[in-house]
Amino acid sequence: MSRPPLLMKLRFQKEDRRFGIWLPLFLLLPVALVVLIILSPLILIAILVLWPSGWGRLALRTIGVSWGLLCSMRGLEVDIRRNNELVFVSAI
Amino acid sequence: MTENQKKVLDMLAENKISADEAYRLLNLIDAGEGGRGADVRVEGEKKDKPRYLRVTVVPNSESEKAGNYDRVNVRVPMSLIRAGIKLTSLIPPQAYDKVNDALKEKGINFDLRSIKTGDIEELIEALGDMQVDVESGRGEKVKVFVE
Repeated sequence: MSRPPLLMKLRFQKEDRRFGIWLPLFLLLPVALVVLIILSPLILIAILVLWPSGWGRLALRTIGVSWGLLCSMRGLEVDIRRNNELVFVSAI
Repeated sequence: MTENQKKVLDMLAENKISADEAYRLLNLIDAGEGGRGADVRVEGEKKDKPRYLRVTVVPNSESEKAGNYDRVNVRVPMSLIRAGIKLTSLIPPQAYDKVNDALKEKGINFDLRSIKTGDIEELIEALGDMQVDVESGRGEKVKVFVE
């Protein structure tokens, strides 16, 4: 089973303005999980209400696909530079 | 999560190492795991499955020195491409017709519903043989390949 990335590094630069951040996903994911557990009754009710219209099934599938998308981001690296501009995204 | 990765993250959490050092160590551990996996695959299969799609644009040295250049280095995991294709399952049924009509207007006679997971696997496997190598008039080298 694939697992989500542990760390994400983001760096942006435009002329003299720079921004860089390390996202410790291994610390943020447990927090997100707790939030999801707390909100799960509301999510479940929303899915049940939307089920007859077909959107409930779509919403349920969205959760699975979103998790899959997050897990498959491991190893992603984007490094684009132009003169004094930079966009760098890395997930490990 | 392997034992080594856990150790690195523990050291990072305890501030024994910096985030940069943790990044480097985790990359090394990942590369090590990938290498072991590749050895196993070589025994079992004739050809390794592609793991990443790479796109690189390398400027010529003159334009780089002049400070007028574009440099691109993108590595996309194949699993992300698969997951992206799975996103098509989230398209509402009524939107399919609209997309198909828009494609037909552009001269593309293609039914989006016909995309199947099996076809995607075939396509990704076929990507293993693909390599694009272009050199522009300005001396920029563009490469698209899988690894």
